Parts: sequence; C-alpha cells; structure tokens
Amino acid sequence: MTPSQQRILTIGLVTLGVLIVGFFGLRTFHAFREFRGHRPPGPPFGDKHAETDVELIRDWMTIGSLSRMYDMPHRLLYDALGIPPNGNEKKSLKQLNDEYFPDQPGFVLETVKAAIQANLPPPTATPTSSP
Amino acid sequence: MSDYLLTQIINQGAPLFGLILFMGALGVPVPASILLIAAGAFSQQGILTWYSAAILGLLGAVLGDAVSFGIGYYARDWVQARFGKSATWKSARDTFDSRAGMAVYLTRFLITALAVPTNLIAGGSGIRFRRFMTYDTLGEMTWVILYGGLGYWFGSNWEVVSDFISNFGGLLLGIVLLGAGIWLGTRQLKKRAATLDLDLEE
Repeated sequence: MTPSQQRILTIGLVTLGVLIVGFFGLRTFHAFREFRGHRPPGPPFGDKHAETDVELIRDWMTIGSLSRMYDMPHRLLYDALGIPPNGNEKKSLKQLNDEYFPDQPGFVLETVKAAIQANLPPPTATPTSSP
Repeated sequence: MSDYLLTQIINQGAPLFGLILFMGALGVPVPASILLIAAGAFSQQGILTWYSAAILGLLGAVLGDAVSFGIGYYARDWVQARFGKSATWKSARDTFDSRAGMAVYLTRFLITALAVPTNLIAGGSGIRFRRFMTYDTLGEMTWVILYGGLGYWFGSNWEVVSDFISNFGGLLLGIVLLGAGIWLGTRQLKKRAATLDLDLEE
C-alpha cells in the first residue's frame, strides 16, 4: 500500500468512526434514558405472571401469543374481532387486519387492545404497612 | 423483516430460531441480537421453552461460525495470492494472530457487527480450528446467556433493552473504527518522523 493510499484509509476510518460514534452515541444516550425508566416487570424466575399493560401489544404478535402473554382465552379475542380461530392461529395481527379489515388500518390491533383491557383482572391493592 | 421473523419464531419455535442464528453467523443480514433478546422474553412468557431456545440458538450460531471459518480457510489461497506480498497485510495478519482468541471472543457478543469478518479472517489466517472453536463457543455462550437472559429478565419490556443494546453495539463499532484510524495515523506519523531523522543524520 502506497503512503497516499494509507493516508486515504486513515482519513476514511477516522471520518467514518466519528460519524458512527456521533450517530450511535446520541441514539445510545436516548435509549439509555428509556432503559433506565423501565424496570423488569416482575420476578425474573419462579412463577410466571400475566402482563397487564396493553400498550406492549404489537402488530407482529399472534392471537395465541397474546393469549399466553395476558393469560386470557384466545376464543375471547377471536370473538371480539368476529373471526374464526380455525386457520388464523399462525397469522399476525397485521395479517389478520390485511385479510379481514383491509379498509380499516390498525383495526385489529386496537380491537384486541380494547378487548384485553376490558378483561384484565382488577388491580390488587398493595398492602400498606401500618405504623 | 424483524416483525416477520418475530411472528415466525412465535409460530415455529426454537428450531427456526436456531436456523436464523445459523444464517446470521454466515453473514445473512438478520437482526440476530434483537431476536435473541426477544427469544429470552418469549421464554419468560411461556411461548418458547428457554432451554430448547438456548441450546438450538447456541448450536445454530456456533455451526454458522464454523462454516464461515471454513469459507475463510478455503479462500485463503486466493487472499494470499492477492495480498500476500503486501507488508500491511502481513502486519495485519500477525497482529490478528497474536490477539485472535480475544478478537473472536469479543466479536461474538460485544462488537457483533465484526463477527463474520473475524470468522473469515480467522479461517484465512491459519489459526487452528480447535482454538477458534474454543473462543467462539465461549463467546457465543456469553452472548446467549447475556442477551437471552436480559430478554428473559425484562420480559414484555424487551424492546427497551433491545433498542439500547443495538445502539450500544453501533457505538462500539464506531469506537473500534476510530481507534483503528488513530492507530494507523499515529504509526504513519512515527514512520515519517523516523525517515526525517535518518535524512537529517545523513
């Protein structure tokens, strides 16, 4: 490699490095702030507990996975959508939306969120320590 | 693509997860680290069985690394013919040989973007396959336990962890490139200074 080629390589590496550090540095900082705001939802090991936050539902999830995640019968979610379970078990919410409600974008996601929210168990009061 | 793969992992389970990690180790652009964190979360939710996901994931990643090491090994004649006479190439190869174990180990879980190039260089540089596999398996085990464990621990909140880790990986890659550039530049300056000194002495 000639000295001028080495110089070009050095400048290229430094420039690329600075750009990548700047770009991902900012993103890492923002992600870290988000990360610190979240705590693990419950005991990491031992008894599994059902999720209660419907804002964690994404359109790549399936009815079956949501049924497990929120500990809810899958029949209830299919009924809320008015579609049969047979043949739809492996489809994501987005696929179900595209197939059954193509003219209503986001309908399946919102309906499933509402159905789960309506059927969540009431929050249990945390015991307060008496003086 | 991530969304499609996540749905398929939910449907097909650990065997598909292992296959995806195998392809990722071969250089197919799949978001392997994100899927590993997600698999940890799916295990916590009861969608996957944690031990089958961990074993098949590890197996897929290690097998993929072995194959890409093999590609580097069989391409070394071509690389040798093309760059073999270059002093820079020889110097880079010697530097890699002396730090190969650490490079293989760290690129499995810390600077994952450099994992495939490291496999190819390792295969072409002549380091022994057994030595490569030892560091590779240790590194992949760290990756699976660390990333999968974080996904398991954070459960449904895994996306926050994944976002942080993806960006942190990018930041580390930038630091490595910047460091390599500074190291090269410093070496060139030292060389130039040494040549000037020689000229002055004459």
